[in-house]
Amino acid sequence: MASAMMRRSTATLRSVMGVAFRDYASVSVGSDIVSAAPDVSLQKARTWDEGLSSKFSTTPLSEIFKGRKVVIFGLPGAFTGVCSAQHVPSYKNNIDKFKAKGIDSVICVSVNDPYVMNGWAERLQAKDDIEFYGDFDASFHKSLDLTKDLSPALLGPRSERWSAYVEDGKIKVLNVESVPSEFKVSGGDHLLGQI
Amino acid sequence: MAPICVGDSLPDGTLAYFDSADTLQQVSIHSLAAGKKVVLFGVPGAFTPTCSLKHVPGFIERAAELKSKGVDEIICISVNDPFVMKEWAKTYPENKEVKFLADGSASYTRALGLELDLTEKGLGIRSRRFALLVEDLKVKVSNVESGGEFTVSGADEILKAL
Repeated sequence: MASAMMRRSTATLRSVMGVAFRDYASVSVGSDIVSAAPDVSLQKARTWDEGLSSKFSTTPLSEIFKGRKVVIFGLPGAFTGVCSAQHVPSYKNNIDKFKAKGIDSVICVSVNDPYVMNGWAERLQAKDDIEFYGDFDASFHKSLDLTKDLSPALLGPRSERWSAYVEDGKIKVLNVESVPSEFKVSGGDHLLGQI
Repeated sequence: MAPICVGDSLPDGTLAYFDSADTLQQVSIHSLAAGKKVVLFGVPGAFTPTCSLKHVPGFIERAAELKSKGVDEIICISVNDPFVMKEWAKTYPENKEVKFLADGSASYTRALGLELDLTEKGLGIRSRRFALLVEDLKVKVSNVESGGEFTVSGADEILKAL
């Protein structure tokens, strides 16, 4: 009884306070990731020649998410410490387990251009298992409100460290680290247990 | 900013890099170039082909020659963050002389008037392809490509001027 009243008053507080009680991201479990970011596309990691021959085509979110089971994780930057040493490997090492659960794609996205993402994916030897996408202008992360200003670290506008499980565009699980330098809730092992 | 040209003073600015101890450092261009003969060349993007396969190797190969003609520093800048620049530099293990410096926010590139909008190629604001020969902060040679080509901005053109 008391808890129901608490929930109602919290909900009222949220609607009244608006910004102050906003969820960490603008999306949450149950949100439709494609509707949250209309007109947004990502650039698949590629070489320049591939870009040229595809006329620098981009991939709309609907193509990535509609009718598919997708595991997606975002990180502050290609070639940076935790991202390279821990975050990507935690998905690469679990790829068979994700596929066994019927996951269609495991996607890594970062605010980098698609050529850097490609160089990085090749360096990590992860291209066969994980699809790497660049969100070079941060439009994808801005739509989800998952951007983080990392100018003090000389990286400029980047993204939080996060992970999600998305089914037919609907977010089923969403994990966001409290600070991007941490690696507690956004890894592959953790997400595997939540699907 | 109008593109930098011969006779101009090289503006100051701060660029970033990882030193040999893997510590992030920031350096002012003037501290590297004042009272010295410096070659500064810029590329649109790390890990892109012309930059990687033609422009940079030319300067690495000619580095000893450039140094023998009195060049004190050979600097490559790009609008990329220092993590990316560090890893890109590692793809040239034979390199001894060329310094790879990051202009992550493009602020120095803008100060040189050499920015280029490559948004439709998925790159955002980057630098034109260029090469400068600067003596005690005075620009002696300014070779700037007009588009994506690689015709005047290589090491050979700078060598001709020395």
